[in-house]
Amino acid sequence: MRETRLWSLHILVLPIIAVLLGMHFAVMHYAPVFYGMSVDKAREFSTMIERGKSVTQLVLYILLLAAALYHGLYGLRGIIRELPLTPVLVKVVDAGIITFGLFIFAFGTYVTWWTFSYKIGG
Amino acid sequence: MNSNKPTAYNNRLGIKGWVYAGRYTFERYLYLGHRVSGLGLIAYMVLHIIETANRMRGVEAWQGLMALFASWPFKIIEYLLFAMAVFHAMNGVRLLVTELGFFLGKPREPVYPYSTSIKRHRPLTFVIMGLAAMIIILGGSSLFFP
Amino acid sequence: MSDRKTTPREITFQVRRFDPDSDVAPHWGEYKLHVHDGMTVLEALHQLKAEQEPTLAWRSSCRMGVCGSCGMFINDLPQLACQTQVLHLGTDVVTVAPLPNYENVKDLVPDLEPLIEKHAAVKPYIISLDQIEINAPTGEFLQTPEERESISQFTHCIKCGLCLAACPTVATDPLFLGPQALAQAYRYSADNRDCGLHDRLEAIDLFHGPYQCHLAGACSQACPKGVDPAFAIQLLKRTLVLDSIGFGKKKSSVAKIMPLADVVKAIEEFAPPPRTV
Ligand code: HEM
Ligand code: FES
Repeated sequence: MRETRLWSLHILVLPIIAVLLGMHFAVMHYAPVFYGMSVDKAREFSTMIERGKSVTQLVLYILLLAAALYHGLYGLRGIIRELPLTPVLVKVVDAGIITFGLFIFAFGTYVTWWTFSYKIGG
Repeated sequence: MNSNKPTAYNNRLGIKGWVYAGRYTFERYLYLGHRVSGLGLIAYMVLHIIETANRMRGVEAWQGLMALFASWPFKIIEYLLFAMAVFHAMNGVRLLVTELGFFLGKPREPVYPYSTSIKRHRPLTFVIMGLAAMIIILGGSSLFFP
Repeated sequence: MSDRKTTPREITFQVRRFDPDSDVAPHWGEYKLHVHDGMTVLEALHQLKAEQEPTLAWRSSCRMGVCGSCGMFINDLPQLACQTQVLHLGTDVVTVAPLPNYENVKDLVPDLEPLIEKHAAVKPYIISLDQIEINAPTGEFLQTPEERESISQFTHCIKCGLCLAACPTVATDPLFLGPQALAQAYRYSADNRDCGLHDRLEAIDLFHGPYQCHLAGACSQACPKGVDPAFAIQLLKRTLVLDSIGFGKKKSSVAKIMPLADVVKAIEEFAPPPRTV
């Protein structure tokens, strides 16, 4: 059942990505439509910090991070492993992708947390 | 075999077989587009995470970066990224349903001229690609280039 | 337009040549032949061999699209030489090359062994739970017309290998099971007389299994028998996903048996009318 489980997750995270990426787009690119705020204003440091204070936003961003990284890196692994690789290289690719994914996830989570816990003027 | 001279020629297409869709059908080109856009998106996503981490270097660093992104070359790049994401997401919806066996019709006796699952879901393919084009042209241009 | 597809005329054949004893890489040979309406690429090759190029090698047998020997890369598409009419191609220059994605043994001959090995790997036969019945049959396993139709098209595979030549994944991945074997894995697993999905998992639920199909659809376009392997692969994905979350075929669904006596009766009932000559 191994590959079926991995692939099912690749597909299952798609609804999450669709909704959360849609929200991310709404905030960052369609701010004039949804928030009556210019795109420049939406991208200002203070606006970002203000948004970042919400617990909902914190949770949703980390979820989007995990879902999109899993989907994208599983896809990338698939593409690389369709190349003719030696058994050793197969292990290197798999381990490399997992390590890279965990690292980027940890880094992204840290940045999101940093925004969440930022004290203005502090 | 008494000689170790190679006896056959390796006729595998290699990566050319991914890229060159030649005389195959439209969906063969979508496969290529999906792969290229998927690679583009994951590359962008990683860069995006690193780039937005610039906030930790303070207000000036962040505002400088945002000013850079507001410039024309970056607006165009951003629009291309948007187009890529829309294409991948829309075509992805098609793949999502068809790879789970939906919209492909039912198995049937193969009677010439053969109908294939690819042909049977082509109306869906066209509708989805039409929608993608509309979103890219209308939705994108009005907001990226107001 | 339709003229070009029926008017007899001289056609230039560019045929890819490769002799393993003297060549390191293939080269193209050019031959001209007057082609008449209805002539197939296979017939043209026979005529070229008889009249111009006795060393030309390819493989064919039935010359009627049944044996699956004569797959070639004709005008950049994998096709059966015996089922492709030269004039229907509509070009004055026709290129004929060996199928891509296989080892090229000589001239137009591909080595189809990997195809057969992958086919065998997915256990392409009915695996029944009812071993007693299999070993000492008391009758015939029943299959309704609907059950038959749900797998019928996938049984038409002639193992010509055109689908693997068309598949972009096979282009790089020698381990990918490929459209032919995966379609057969579905054909047997979906058969109402079969309970073998779990026996096949070891061979198919792998990285190089159905998920490396990205629905480019080239295999189904190439298939000369309407098998539509891409369709079977997507159905196989669904079957595997459902099975992994406990919605698989029930283990107990062993096909019903029609007792031997009834089989004999049915044969008599549907016997052809007596011979008249
Ligand atoms: C709502 C948004 C999205 C949808 C509906 C979607 C859908 C899909 C589907 C169905 C596949 C599987 C294709 C196959 O099996 O051939 C896929 C592959 C892939 N996706 Fe996405 N995707 C989305 C967003 C993303 C994002 C945000 C990324 C990058 C982080 C991404 C990167 C990839 C990659 C790299 C592949 C592999 C492509 C290949 O094997 O050719 N996708 N996508
Ligand atoms: S010669 Fe048998 S399929 Fe063409």
